Amino acid sequence: MNRKTLTKLTDMFWQTLTFLASSVSLFVLGAIVVYVFNTGWKLMNIDLIRYDYRSNTYIGEIVDIPEFCLCEPTLSLDEETFYSEKWGVALKNDEDVLGKNIVIVEYVHQNSPLNELVNKSSVGPRTFALLDGYVVRRIAFFGLPSALDLYGAETMIQMLDGVDQFRELELITQGGGIRGSIYTTLWLVGLTLMFALPIGVASAIYLNEFASKRSRITRYFRQFIELLTGVPSIVYGLMGLAFFVPLVSSLTEATGPSLISGSLTLAVIVLPVIIRTTEESLRVIPDEYRQASYALGATKMQTVTKVILPSAFPGILSATLLAIGRIVGESAALIFAIGVIIRDEISIFGQSTSLAVHIYAMLTDEPANIELSATISIIIIAIVLVMNFLIKIATRNFAKKSFEGGLI
Amino acid sequence: MSKPIFQVNNLNLFYGKVQALKSLNINIEERTVTALIGPSGCGKSTFLRTLNRMNDLIPECSISGLIHYKSLSLYDKKTDVIDVRKSIGMVFQKPNPFPMSIFDNIAFGPRCQGINQPKELQSIVEKALHDAALWDEVKDRLNTSALKLSGGQQQRLCIARALAMKPDVLLMDEPTSALDPLATNKIEELIATLKKDYTIVIVTHSMQQAARISDNTVFFLLGEIIEYGPTKEFFATPKDTRTENYITGRFG
Repeated sequence: MNRKTLTKLTDMFWQTLTFLASSVSLFVLGAIVVYVFNTGWKLMNIDLIRYDYRSNTYIGEIVDIPEFCLCEPTLSLDEETFYSEKWGVALKNDEDVLGKNIVIVEYVHQNSPLNELVNKSSVGPRTFALLDGYVVRRIAFFGLPSALDLYGAETMIQMLDGVDQFRELELITQGGGIRGSIYTTLWLVGLTLMFALPIGVASAIYLNEFASKRSRITRYFRQFIELLTGVPSIVYGLMGLAFFVPLVSSLTEATGPSLISGSLTLAVIVLPVIIRTTEESLRVIPDEYRQASYALGATKMQTVTKVILPSAFPGILSATLLAIGRIVGESAALIFAIGVIIRDEISIFGQSTSLAVHIYAMLTDEPANIELSATISIIIIAIVLVMNFLIKIATRNFAKKSFEGGLI
Repeated sequence: MSKPIFQVNNLNLFYGKVQALKSLNINIEERTVTALIGPSGCGKSTFLRTLNRMNDLIPECSISGLIHYKSLSLYDKKTDVIDVRKSIGMVFQKPNPFPMSIFDNIAFGPRCQGINQPKELQSIVEKALHDAALWDEVKDRLNTSALKLSGGQQQRLCIARALAMKPDVLLMDEPTSALDPLATNKIEELIATLKKDYTIVIVTHSMQQAARISDNTVFFLLGEIIEYGPTKEFFATPKDTRTENYITGRFG
């Protein structure tokens, strides 16, 4: 074998090796996504938002004189389903997981008076709507025997059709919704950015515009921030539990972990990200802008607010989007700082879970709810993908807009 | 010679330990064009920047000596640097409009001084653009981005932006070095008009340009002023051999 062939072969060997490496990474990453989608997609449903997380027993009543629906159903109902035109509701016989006969709501017309029921039970919201999937246990009337579920759906509908008002409606709501966790995640994003963005942007401006470039302290400060971005988030969770939870508890009505202490912890986590990204965008602003501004008699503060900040806006935007991605995906730190109790009604001083922590709660359940976890994963992946896409658009527009004059 | 607007006495400037300007003494006359020439690194741009204290922005830059602008001592502790830069405008080597509209670029300086009435701003912008001979070219698109203008237009916009502050002096740091000959020609014509109302100090690499547009010429070499005199005499009968060598192209 001559030398030329040998070189060629080595070349090919290395080329194949790199190709294999990239194939493996692509396969592994693809497999995760495929698994998550495959497992979780079937639960991806609008009901995730409509239903509460917990299944509750509510007792509903109509306080005012009901306005009857007197309407045809908007979709075709099968023969097993019994519909009341007066009340605009369809019931159906079914079996629960234990094989017991139950009656469930199959359909509720949008004009039905049952869309606004007052809750007489001690749990849950003050008013609620009858949704399909709910289990009807009992309908009680004034001066007549109650319609019980053991009579079957047909009888219940007939009895309901015979009256103009009922006394109370006992039902079991459908559970499994993740609305509370979605709201918590949105609250976390908003509150965290409210805490971290002003501080982060101001620090970046100080570091890049005001602090002396050669000062040793500035250099150490910057290195320290770099270091902070690499600290595992569970360490921040520890800080949240040890510092923010007691702090928030002593200052507000919160007792223990709360949405506020969670977002304060997250603010600390995203602060280095915001500072670094913003500083990066400040650094690429041509010095000519600053000089032109100073030469026109602008003060340092005027230069910052009128020239530097507008030019850095897209950078600050991508810092924000990166931070949102981090907030949405964070779980370890939040387990301690906000708690793992899944709630439907959110209070910023109470415990609740973000989507990521919801997955943690689902997986530590007995048995672990893999499917719902995968569904929530899809939602998180979708949010992160959208964020990345937005970052790309923001930065590309920035490059086009600012530098088409050929300044750089 | 008319009366001096700048009086420089024994000016020394250091970047760290390197001395960039060595005991300069010079008077610059009002409403004239003074050209600063010399090879690269001779200190002419540095000197220009001392005249409106742009060197303040460079860390490790220290200055001794006196510069008087009219009766004001520029480097006195009581002197407000903002006031200095308001009356002494500057145009840079590369056109550097802000990434804003043409209007906002010119209104930037006045707005920083607290002028906010639209009518007043409008008239300031219009006058500045007229003075910079740019009005006719941009009057229909004042709200488009300044970065869409050509290089020469951008540089005239920068001049207009400086003029909007109603300064007495315009410092120009090689304003045409990034421009093509046609655009250069326009700027030179503009300088000839502007000198009726403004004192202009211009750094230039081109001796031809200095000869064309200036009334007085200063020759810098290694941080020192070698020769200073009316431009015609300067180029016709240089007194110093180093000047002669430079303007005849033997070095630099």
